[in-house]
Amino acid sequence: MAVGETQVESGSEPGTKEVETGWRATLRKIKRDTTARWGLYVITFVLAITAYTLIDGNLSRLTFGNVSDFAMAEALPIFEHPERLPPPGEADTNVPPAFHADGSMAHPLGTDPNGRDYFTRIVYGAQVSVSVGLAATFLGLVGGTIVGAVAGYYGGWVDDLLMRAVETVYAIPPLILIIVFTVFVSGGSPDVRFAIIGVGIAFIPVFARIIRSEVLSVREMDYIEAARAAGVKDRNIILRHVIPNSFAPVMVYATLQIGVTILIVAGLSFLGFGAQPPTPDWGEMLQTSHSYMHSNVWLSIWPGIAIMITIMGFNLFGDGLQDALDPRIND
Amino acid sequence: MGLLRYTTYRFLQAIPVLIGISILTFVLANLTPGDPVRLMLQGVEADQEMIEQVEARYGLDRPMHERYLDYMAGLVQGDMGHSFHRNQDVASLIASRIGPTLLLVLSAYAFALVTSIPLGIIAAKRRNEPFDHVSRIVALLGVSTPSFWIGIMLILIFAVQLGWLPSADLVYPWWSPEVYGHDGYLEHFVETIRHLVLPMIALGTLQMATLMRVERTQMIESLQGEYVKLARAYGVPERTILRKHAFQVAQLPIITIVGLNLSTALGGAVLIEFVFNINGLGRLFYEAIIQLDYQLIMGITMIIATMFVIGVIITDIAYAYIDPRVTYGEAE
Repeated sequence: MAVGETQVESGSEPGTKEVETGWRATLRKIKRDTTARWGLYVITFVLAITAYTLIDGNLSRLTFGNVSDFAMAEALPIFEHPERLPPPGEADTNVPPAFHADGSMAHPLGTDPNGRDYFTRIVYGAQVSVSVGLAATFLGLVGGTIVGAVAGYYGGWVDDLLMRAVETVYAIPPLILIIVFTVFVSGGSPDVRFAIIGVGIAFIPVFARIIRSEVLSVREMDYIEAARAAGVKDRNIILRHVIPNSFAPVMVYATLQIGVTILIVAGLSFLGFGAQPPTPDWGEMLQTSHSYMHSNVWLSIWPGIAIMITIMGFNLFGDGLQDALDPRIND
Repeated sequence: MGLLRYTTYRFLQAIPVLIGISILTFVLANLTPGDPVRLMLQGVEADQEMIEQVEARYGLDRPMHERYLDYMAGLVQGDMGHSFHRNQDVASLIASRIGPTLLLVLSAYAFALVTSIPLGIIAAKRRNEPFDHVSRIVALLGVSTPSFWIGIMLILIFAVQLGWLPSADLVYPWWSPEVYGHDGYLEHFVETIRHLVLPMIALGTLQMATLMRVERTQMIESLQGEYVKLARAYGVPERTILRKHAFQVAQLPIITIVGLNLSTALGGAVLIEFVFNINGLGRLFYEAIIQLDYQLIMGITMIIATMFVIGVIITDIAYAYIDPRVTYGEAE
C-alpha cells in the first residue's frame, strides 16, 4: 500500500497544478502500488476473456457464414440451434461440475438444465457484464461531465436549475430508477440496451457533482481568466481547459463506479429487467438458476463468483488509483 | 439559526426535490411507447370502446399536464391514485407493505453499524498488521459481492444445508404472537430475530463494508490530528484519546454516509425481498412492475424517494447536532 506516500502528499494542496503535470508520476505510482497492480491484473484477465469471446464469436461468424453469433450459439444450443440438440433422453442436462463424483472434464463446471455448458456460458457472460458496465459508466461520465461542467462554469440560475434536477434524479435509488426507466421506456419489454441508458442516466448525478465542485475551483485559476481575457469562447474554455483539469478525481471515481454499475446491472438482470435469456449474462444466469437453487446448487455459485472477481478487480484498481492520485478524494 | 429553525429550513428545502421527483416519475410513466391503457390491458381482448372507457375512467384522454396537476392535487390530500390491477387504493397498499421494508432496512443498518465501527477502529489502531489486512479484504469482498447473491448463498448454507434458520418471509413483531401460534412474547421475539438474520446480513453486508472502510480511514486521519498529538503530549491515556477525542470526530463522515447509502439499501431491499420472499415495499414494487401497474409504480417510487430524502435530512440534522463546528445552514 502506498500509505507512506499519501502521507507525504497530503500536506500539499490537492487539485492544484501537480495533477496536470503528474500523469507520468501517477503511472509510476500505480506501478508501485500493490493494490492497483493486483486490480490491474484482475481487470486485464477479465478484459482478455471478454476480448477472446468477441474475437472467437467474430472468427466463427467469418468461418461459418450467416450464423448470427456462432460462439454464442455454442453456449446456447437449444435456443438457436435445435439441430445441435442431442437426441431426446441423451441430453447432457444437469451435469455436475468436474470435481463432483458424477462430473466429467467435458463440462468443467457442469451444464445447466438446458444442457448448455456452464463454463462456456460463464466465459461468455463476461462479455455482457463488462461491456454493459463500461458502456453505462461511460454514458454517466459523459452526461455528468457535461451537466457538471456547464453548471459549475456558468453558475447562477443555470447552476441552480441543473443542480436541482441532479438532486431529483439522485433522490430516487438507482436500482428503482433504472427499473422504472427500462420498463416504461421499453414499453414493458426491457433489455440490455435500455438498461445501459438507464444506468447512465442514474449515474449522471454522482459525476455531475464531482465535476462541478472541481470546475468551481478550476474556474478561479489564472489561466482560465487569461483565456477569457484573450477572447476564447466559453465552450472552448470548458472543453479545452476546465474539463481536462477537473478530470483526475473523476477518473478514480469512474473506475470505482464501474464496479457499482456491474453490481447494479447484475441485480437488474437477476430480477429480469436487464439481459434477457438466452443471452449469457451472470445476473441472468443467477435468475435462471434461482428456480433450481435446491436441486442444482452449483448453478447459483459460479456466476456470483464471476461477478465478485470482476468487481473486485475494478475496486482494487480504483483504490490504488485513489491513493496514487489524490489521498483526500473521499471528502 | 437554532436547531429547530435549521430543521424546518431543511424540510422546506426538500419540497422542490419532492416536486421534482413527482414530475420525474410522472414523465417516466408517460414515456411509454403506446399508452398506459394498452399496457394495462395487455393480454386482455380489448376493443376500441373498452379502451376508450378505461381512458375516460382514469382520465387518460386528457393532456399530460392536466393529469399531472390532478395527480398532485390528489397527492397533497394523501390520495396516491388507484391500482388498476389490484383494484385497491395505492396509499393503503403501500401502508400495508411499508413495515417489513422498514424493519429489514433498519436492522440491516443496525447490523452494519454494530460490526463496522468496532472493526474499523481496531483496523485503524492496528494499521498494517494482520488484523488490518484481513478486515480490509473482508471489506473489499463486501463491496464487490452482489447482495442478492450473498442472500442466495446464506439460504443455501444456513437454511438448506444446515437447516438452522428459515429462508423465507419475516415474522412481524407488531403482530400478536397468536397469529403465528407462538407461545408468548419470548418465542415471538426469538422467531422474529431468526427470520430476520439472513436477509439482514445479506442487505447489510454492503453497508458494513462501506462503513468499515470509511471508519478506518477516518480513524487513521483522526489519530494523526493535532488535538490527538496535544492530548498525547499532556499524557492523556491512549484509551481515552481513542474513545473521546479521535472517535467523536471520526464519526461525523459516517453519519453522512449512512444517510446517503440509504439509497443503495432501499434499492437493495427490492432484491433481498425478492430472494427471501418478504412481502414488503420492494416486493410490491417488483410485482407492480411485472403487472405494469403504473399508478402503483409511481406511488412506490415517490414513497421510496421520500424515505431517502427524509433519511438524508435526519442525518444532516444529526450531524449538525453532534458537530459543534457546524453553523446551521449558513454556509453554501
